[in-house]
Amino acid sequence: MTDTKVSIGREQLTSAASNEVIIEMNKVNKWYDDFHVLKDIDLVVRKGERIVVCGPSGSGKSTLIRCLNNLEEHQEGEIVVDGITLDKNLKHIDHIRTEVGMVFQSFNLFPHLSILDNLTLGPILVRKMPKAEAQANAMKYLERVKIPEQADKFPGQLSGGQQQRVAIARSLCMNPTIMLFDEPTSALDPEMIKEVLDVMVELAETGMTMIVVTHEMSFAKIVADRVIFMDQGDIVEENEPNEFFNNPQHERTQHFLSQIL
Amino acid sequence: MAIVKAEKTPARAAPLSERSLIGWLHKNIFSSSFNTILSIVTLYVIYITVNEVWHWGFADAVWFADSRRQCFEISTDGACWAGVIGWMDSIFYGRYPRDELWRINLGGLLVVLWMVPLWLPRVKAKVFIGLSTVFLYPFLAGYLFSGGGKGVFMQVMVTLAIVCLMGNTLHSVISLIKGISLPEFLIRAFGKSTAPEKTQHYLLLGILFCSFVAVYYWQSSWQVEAVSWTKWGGLFLTLVVSGIGIASALPGGIILALGRRSNLPFIRVVSIGFIELFRSVPLITVLFMATTMFPLFMPEGFVLNKLVQVIIAVCLFNACYMAETVRAGLQAIPKGQFEGAHSIGLGYWQTMGAVIMPQALKHMIPNIVGSFIGLFKDTTLVSIIGLFDILGVLRAVGKDVTWLGLHIEPLVFGALLFFLICFAMSKYSRHLEVKFSTGLKNMTPNKRNKS
Repeated sequence: MTDTKVSIGREQLTSAASNEVIIEMNKVNKWYDDFHVLKDIDLVVRKGERIVVCGPSGSGKSTLIRCLNNLEEHQEGEIVVDGITLDKNLKHIDHIRTEVGMVFQSFNLFPHLSILDNLTLGPILVRKMPKAEAQANAMKYLERVKIPEQADKFPGQLSGGQQQRVAIARSLCMNPTIMLFDEPTSALDPEMIKEVLDVMVELAETGMTMIVVTHEMSFAKIVADRVIFMDQGDIVEENEPNEFFNNPQHERTQHFLSQIL
Repeated sequence: MAIVKAEKTPARAAPLSERSLIGWLHKNIFSSSFNTILSIVTLYVIYITVNEVWHWGFADAVWFADSRRQCFEISTDGACWAGVIGWMDSIFYGRYPRDELWRINLGGLLVVLWMVPLWLPRVKAKVFIGLSTVFLYPFLAGYLFSGGGKGVFMQVMVTLAIVCLMGNTLHSVISLIKGISLPEFLIRAFGKSTAPEKTQHYLLLGILFCSFVAVYYWQSSWQVEAVSWTKWGGLFLTLVVSGIGIASALPGGIILALGRRSNLPFIRVVSIGFIELFRSVPLITVLFMATTMFPLFMPEGFVLNKLVQVIIAVCLFNACYMAETVRAGLQAIPKGQFEGAHSIGLGYWQTMGAVIMPQALKHMIPNIVGSFIGLFKDTTLVSIIGLFDILGVLRAVGKDVTWLGLHIEPLVFGALLFFLICFAMSKYSRHLEVKFSTGLKNMTPNKRNKS
């Protein structure tokens, strides 16, 4: 998608990145059976940094961020999130998942629960928050994503854009330190893409650490501190957005950008 | 060239064929000459059948007589319902002592009392009420039905059941009247609603403990006469076996299904072995194994009554079938639901309990109730291994000297009873499906409100 399709109409945000390292990946490798999806990935993310990951489909970008909260298990290398090393220890995994929020392409809301219950489930069960407090908290986040009036509806009654905003609010209710977005707008119509991107930009303004897999280059230009281009399991190029879009170095990046811009 | 429609097209009434009875008949019954002939023939067949049934079952039937011979003297063409009526007590209660029938009736009444709150929309904590029905009611009912001396374990369980039943009922009444739960009500009644949470918890625990002690002393003062399980029979026995089977099949099935999908090889292999073993043998084989082979493997002097063995066999057998139903339901849940739950930090049991199972069970309602209906009907197999269940009683009527040869009427009556119970279950499952269809994808708010 290009600027002409979805325009966010904002200036580029100033960076909120600090010096504190919050995610560290060292020589991470992953295979699906014999297929080598991630090849020696090295990545350091600082707190407050906003990273956009792009690349052709099958390049491993979704797998990369899904490894960060162990939805996919990596076979080699080391991943440290918020000071905790991801290993077989279920306690570590559970802890990391409470610190890392994730938004999916297909929303993955719970269809049998009302919007409000979708939002309070995690805080009540995981954070052991009293119900009233969890609900008040949930309403706060619903207001932030601008759909407080939908609280009593069910996910199936909402439009795609609304569902995705609920999904973002659901993650935020857990008060995460890092937010991962796995192609959050790929399943949406253009008008809905904008409402979701608006929410994401606002989230970026609060200084949240974000890693976003997306093809929305307009979003990348405004929000990203760094753009990462992946192809065939490699991080091929990594640069700040102006340089990345105006002056791509690698041949594969140039090819990719020429096709989508 | 632009096309602009100036006026709105007004809505017109539907054609006659869509809204009048005659139109409906034209369209559905007499649409062509062939269909007309078919319709008339069908109507005729229905007429003959209904007429015959009417004459045999009602018009020419004998309702009051002392023996089959007397029945024949009154009418030879009709059914002799007098025999069924004369055996009615046995059909329902088997050989249970006639003076003690109130215990069975009370047991039935208690389960209704226990479960009524589940249908009341204003009552909360339904999960607790449901679980207590499954886990505590059987002890209370078991003691009521079998009687005799209570061991310490039985005393405790009966006490727990009574306390729980009282609590449930009080809770429901208070919920209906005041709209608050029993704990809230108690806290307010003692004026501790502003006290810290810990004090409130101690208060509730104290009340619970006091009522437990009081009920314990009360229940240890009474005892009902022992009735051997060999006296149990009729519809009562059928309901006991199938009731316990139904109540335990679902939890057992869920555990086995989760075991089968587990990542731990040992649990998985054991679950698969168990499920496949029980699924690949007929129920009657399992029943024979449980009643004749099982005691042989047990140490000398180990006596478990036959009824308990049969019930355990029925439970295991049905849990295995249920496990496959549950597994099918689990497989229908998209992977994204697991990921969504994991991404907000829910652990395995939280994911299963709060996200996956509620959705899976909803998909499975027709299958689950189907299994329950099958289970209910299958329990008649216990008459083969010598339990005097409803089928056993129905067949005994014709062997009674007074009613010798009266075979058809009791079986017709039995068929009617089974139909009534199974049809009710089936209707109820339909109702549940509609009730739980909230939030299904692509449902408009309108449709949802109607259901």
